[in-house]
Amino acid sequence: MSDLLLSGLLALYPAQFRREYGAECARLLRDRFREESGVMARTRLCADVLKDLVFGVPLLYASRRRALVEARPVQAEGAITRMADELRPSLGALTCATALSAVAFGCMMGWFAHVRYAREAGFLRQAQTQTPVNKFHPSSMRLASFSMMQQPVPAPAASMPPSVRDATASMVDAINTHTIVMFGETHANKQEYAWLCSLVRDPSFHARVDDIVVEFGNSLYQKSVDRWIAGEDVPIAQVEKAWRNVIGSVGPVSPVYAEFYHAVRESNQMPGSHKVRLLLGDPYADWEKIKDAEGLGPFITHRDEWYAQVVNDEVLAKGHRALLIMGAGHFRRSNGPGFIEQKLRSSGADPYLVVFGTNVVGTYDDVDPRFDSWKTPAIVVLVGNWVGDLPAIPVLTGGTGQASSLKMAAAADAMLYVGPRDSLTAVNVPASELENSEYGKEINRRLMIQMGRTMTFTLPAETQQFQRPASQQVAAGNVQRFPQAQAPKSIHDPLPPRPPSQ
Amino acid sequence: MPRRKLDPLPSVAFQILLALADQPLHGYAIMREVAEQTAGRTRLGPATLYGSIQTLLEAGLIEEVDAPVQEESEDGRRRYYQISAAGRKIARDEAERVAGVLRIARAKKILRGGYV
Repeated sequence: MSDLLLSGLLALYPAQFRREYGAECARLLRDRFREESGVMARTRLCADVLKDLVFGVPLLYASRRRALVEARPVQAEGAITRMADELRPSLGALTCATALSAVAFGCMMGWFAHVRYAREAGFLRQAQTQTPVNKFHPSSMRLASFSMMQQPVPAPAASMPPSVRDATASMVDAINTHTIVMFGETHANKQEYAWLCSLVRDPSFHARVDDIVVEFGNSLYQKSVDRWIAGEDVPIAQVEKAWRNVIGSVGPVSPVYAEFYHAVRESNQMPGSHKVRLLLGDPYADWEKIKDAEGLGPFITHRDEWYAQVVNDEVLAKGHRALLIMGAGHFRRSNGPGFIEQKLRSSGADPYLVVFGTNVVGTYDDVDPRFDSWKTPAIVVLVGNWVGDLPAIPVLTGGTGQASSLKMAAAADAMLYVGPRDSLTAVNVPASELENSEYGKEINRRLMIQMGRTMTFTLPAETQQFQRPASQQVAAGNVQRFPQAQAPKSIHDPLPPRPPSQ
Repeated sequence: MPRRKLDPLPSVAFQILLALADQPLHGYAIMREVAEQTAGRTRLGPATLYGSIQTLLEAGLIEEVDAPVQEESEDGRRRYYQISAAGRKIARDEAERVAGVLRIARAKKILRGGYV
């Protein structure tokens, strides 16, 4: 970072503060400039500096003024003049501030405009050329920005049509261009998991991805799953503990997850195939030893933290390329990246986020016909088109969640669409397999620990994925309300040490 | 004067005290620690960071300490700060206040979804 720029910035600070902390401030900015490379990081740095100038520096002046007045309530004329001199920035500093602000603001706007344009254009271009692109080079960015100035003003994003692409081809492109691709799923969805299973069997995708990290896998059983996924003969009763014993699920675990495990194992049997590892991202709670809510508490509150640690330790630290699968609520952005994405970005990753979405754009009955012509399963990039401009919560929840100001383009990079909301189904363990079975009894034991109640198994093997919101059913008297369980005290405890993997 | 500026304890000052709870840190390390603590939501600029450090020093809640012997960067020694006993007490009081607010929010079901 140039000394001239730093001097200009520091000239804006009160003289006393500059004398005391000027060198430290300059060092801090140099450190950030050195360590935060890349388009997004530098843009963020610019924004932080601007914000600091607008909000932090006036506070310094106010604080200094208060200190001087309180310390010397009665001033001689000369002293007042000196005090005013110290508090008033020089003409040079003000000029510098104006110039710096204009330049920084211009750069930031240019960057934002370019990043929006380049992500959309770059992603689509890869679809045509199939050429991996790792990063946007700063020099090419400048050229692209210049060329953008010569283009006609684009139409508003809300009216631009999206590029609807084959979902598998899009994911192959995404894993080619990003070491981490995050997929925010909708639990138990039949159509979504049918596509995910086909994705892992796709040779282009399989050859490129090293690890698949899943929420629906208790990491206590990583050793068994590693052996089984690699093709070894491990008793299925041992392997299925991985997906049946997750702590993130409070009911019977949908069979779609078992199918996904099988799909990964089968894909690893392809001749000459690169081996994909299935990493289990749920904390290592041992249900066979948990007897009450206190035993479960520490695991429940650290689920995201543990998932991020698995990715950091087993993927990023090894230089691997991975698909991350977790419920969309854990991954979707809101006022910036969520907890897990933040952790990964602070480790140097630049994840690409795809979320499962529907054709519902408002209340439950507010279905958008523009989705009807899409060939499914499809993925659309969300920047610069009307899909990105839709309210995120109804789209992501099939109309069961209320719209907020969050738009799809702010919630994720791209959206998977597998069909109209009313065609989507959830796969359940049917009641006939749970009644009077050992698994059914165990589910009710866990429910009693977690929720303070048991359940009667009534679901058939397949049900509608998104049912009308409970609030509307309550009005019709169709929903039974249960008291909420008390949180155990142990939820504030740290994760206990990890036992040996089974 | 400083006491009034820190009553109630501003969020940034609280975050800095928390960042220093484990070990003495220099300014840049404090900034990173605060960013980590807040999942990236708070990245302190120089004016905000050192303005708060100055206020905390004046209030006696943190103190400047010698840099570790091995710390000698290419542009000279950095200034390190550590939390004082008074700072630790203020941070604990603030944490208990926040915990109380959380308890109320849970009781009133403002925090949705219980603990699951």
